[in-house]
Amino acid sequence: MVNGIMKNFNVEGEKSLYNSRCISDLVIRGILFAAAVFGVLTVFFILLFLLKDGMPAFTSIGLYDFLFGQVWNPAGVNPAYGTFPLWVGTILVTLGAMVIAAPLGIAGAIYISEIASYRVRSIIKPAVELLAGIPSVVYGFFGLVILTDWLRVTFDIPSGECWLAGSILLGIMALPTIISVSEDAISAVPASYRQGSLGLGATHWQTISRIITPAALSGITAAIILGMGRAVGETMAVMMVTGNAAIIPDPIYNILSPVRTLTGTLGIEMGEVAVGSEHYHALFGVAVLLLAITLVVNISAQHIIKKIREKGTGAKKNGRKMIHIEFPVIKKHLHDSMKWLKYTLAGLLIVFLLYTSIIAGIAAVALVSLWYGYIKNLDPKKMQKLAFSLLYVSIGIILVVLAIILFDIISKGLPALSWEFLTGYPRDLGREGGIFPAIVGTLYLVGGAILFALPIGVGAAIYLVEYTGEGRLTSIIRSGVDLLNGTPSIVFGLFGFAFLVLFVDFGVCLLSGMITLGLMVLPTIIRTTEEALKSVPDSLRHGSLALGATKWQTIRKVVLSPAAPGIITGTILSIGRAAGETAPIMFTAVVFTTRFLPGSVFDPIMALPYHLFILSTNVPGASTNQYGTALVLLILVMAVYSIAILIRNHYHKSLRW
Amino acid sequence: MENHETILETKKLNLFYGDKQALIDVDLSVYKNHVTALIGPSGCGKSTLIRCFNRMNDLVSDCRIEGQVIYHDQNLYSPAVDVVHMRKKIGMVFQQPNPFPKSIYDNVAYGPRVHGIKDKKILDGIVEKSLMQAALWDEVHDRLDDPAMGLSGGQQQRLCIARTLAVEPEIILMDEPCSALDPIATAKIESLIDDLKKEYTVIIVTHSMSQASRVSDFTGFMYLGKMIEFGETEKIFTSPDEELTNNYITGRFG
Repeated sequence: MVNGIMKNFNVEGEKSLYNSRCISDLVIRGILFAAAVFGVLTVFFILLFLLKDGMPAFTSIGLYDFLFGQVWNPAGVNPAYGTFPLWVGTILVTLGAMVIAAPLGIAGAIYISEIASYRVRSIIKPAVELLAGIPSVVYGFFGLVILTDWLRVTFDIPSGECWLAGSILLGIMALPTIISVSEDAISAVPASYRQGSLGLGATHWQTISRIITPAALSGITAAIILGMGRAVGETMAVMMVTGNAAIIPDPIYNILSPVRTLTGTLGIEMGEVAVGSEHYHALFGVAVLLLAITLVVNISAQHIIKKIREKGTGAKKNGRKMIHIEFPVIKKHLHDSMKWLKYTLAGLLIVFLLYTSIIAGIAAVALVSLWYGYIKNLDPKKMQKLAFSLLYVSIGIILVVLAIILFDIISKGLPALSWEFLTGYPRDLGREGGIFPAIVGTLYLVGGAILFALPIGVGAAIYLVEYTGEGRLTSIIRSGVDLLNGTPSIVFGLFGFAFLVLFVDFGVCLLSGMITLGLMVLPTIIRTTEEALKSVPDSLRHGSLALGATKWQTIRKVVLSPAAPGIITGTILSIGRAAGETAPIMFTAVVFTTRFLPGSVFDPIMALPYHLFILSTNVPGASTNQYGTALVLLILVMAVYSIAILIRNHYHKSLRW
Repeated sequence: MENHETILETKKLNLFYGDKQALIDVDLSVYKNHVTALIGPSGCGKSTLIRCFNRMNDLVSDCRIEGQVIYHDQNLYSPAVDVVHMRKKIGMVFQQPNPFPKSIYDNVAYGPRVHGIKDKKILDGIVEKSLMQAALWDEVHDRLDDPAMGLSGGQQQRLCIARTLAVEPEIILMDEPCSALDPIATAKIESLIDDLKKEYTVIIVTHSMSQASRVSDFTGFMYLGKMIEFGETEKIFTSPDEELTNNYITGRFG
């Protein structure tokens, strides 16, 4: 059989090595490079633009007055722009949220990874992920209608819109982040540790509390910090339930006092500000401050995660989390050119740590006294029972919360659904009629955003992973992308408003909204695509290259198909996120009611999240349609997320090497 | 030795990973339609050397190469060489079987498709012929559309060989192709290598001296990045010139 070879393409006698199929490869490389450059330039452009418009706030108001002024009153006769109550409000609400979410989240993560059976886990994990998918405006709506009312009655206060309401809501919203990142860290603890401990006769709980949790501790810390980042950047939900009075609670631990956060301030005031005024710059200053806080939070999380990776104990193989980052470049940049920011950050950090340590101290004292008073004398088996029942209670609370939210919205929303509601136009400020333009508007917005972000994001990621080495440049690029990834969505709204609506003069329209949302999901798409590409083993690339395939042939035929599920999942999650976001489109694309569908991309539109926001905050007596809108939005986003989860689970099972 | 046609030749080949020198002045001639084995203790540079022959080391950052690798009178490392085109003629089988996550058929057809063959009939012919040459046809001919990941380790490795054969290279590089396989699968690959040299030139890196003595016609012994001794396999394993070689093959170190 060997003799019967017919030469198919390696023509006999053709010995030359100088052939070229390089032209198409070069063209494609060029296109990918352009995508990468565009993606990256946008990232830095956004940052610079915000800084540019925020700078006057610091110079004309004065850094000290801006940061530590006690009064924020832009509308007064003598306007005052002291952000002290605002960022203290942000910190208080965030800390409250962490006090609620951290114990629940860690307990939930331990339960899921250590105790739950395979079947239970395969139900609970997606449920927790669904919790992450609920749009923040829906949380806000729930908080406004149910939670604040409950608080008002329970504590007998004039209004339930307060610090506590914000913290509870943010706590629920931060739970999924905390649970899934901690769970990854716990699952990454080598099985040999567990076996070693159990083999010595330790109980399951002893193994969990003395071996596994300490080994996963840095990952869990990172999870809490990331949850904190999520809470700091949240706008809509907070704005709807905290009362928004720019005061510092008196006394400071009065959790029933209304507060106002940085994000809430932007959400409330940006729509009505006179462009170019001192107030306008002050708001950009607030955005810069917000950005700085999220930067500090994210840097610390990344730093911890990076350390875990270096030690090699942690989530080394967990390619699916998008959280490993090098920030040194940006840090250095800050150091060089903006010394003032450094001092600000240091100040913030000190206050932050102060509060954290107070609360941690109280918790520690409580735990220790509990330990000595009671628990210490228990034998290991009883101890395990006690601990496990606490875990069961925690996961129970999480699931009950999810169930309450879903039940409330579904049970009250279903009666509102009708053919007329889905296909009709709003009447009487949305109290009557349907939400058809809002559904169409949301679909347009999301479609446009993805069309804009997907090619650029995927192209940039392919270029970064496949064509460049890990050099200084890629590390700068990655820092920028990650910075943008952790940026609160309201900041994108601000940028879209200042740059697209005003500077480029698109006006409030579909196009501005599409681009703003596209920019918001761009980092997510770049990041998830990068992770998906990196998870494809190099042996496949080498196998293909050794057969004489070109780089692009290798990428297209061998690398992209196993990476596709990851890329698709990332894209779908971005779609879900874009569909549910309110803050970025609030000032860039939407109007409350329109009787027409958009005729071109330069028309303003209606969108579901914004419609729900206005209905629930500004239109009394629209209860039925509020719930109907919330349910439609919820179904839309949940459907998108479920598809993503299904695709991921399907491929996790069938893909292996 | 003089009557053999040289197909590949290295001249004063030096290779550095950063500051560390991995190959030192390696001179080697590979003869057409023979099997050449490279042996030596771990870290001696034998895998590094074989990866120079189709420039897989290009994929390692901060890897620097001096000297020449001559193939048909052309230096593989001259800037004019199209690496992609070159790898079509000098194929490689890796240590770990690395089939693509595709069907058996698509794995073998991958190379020809990449090189522009679209006609289904020609592809069918190439796939059948390559799988036969790799002695895998009888085991898989009725399930060509099954995923390649479902094959056993030894079958996967023969599939990777078939995949390389489908491109019709002149030289096949094998980097410890049996190290991840059991003895029966190893025996199959070894007898396959014996068949292959009628049509191809094979260079194999192996850590098993018995394997080198079974399958190869020529053997090069490497130590600490240097080619200590090269010659006919029989001579290397019975009466080597160098003391170091003798110590290695008699098992005094390595």
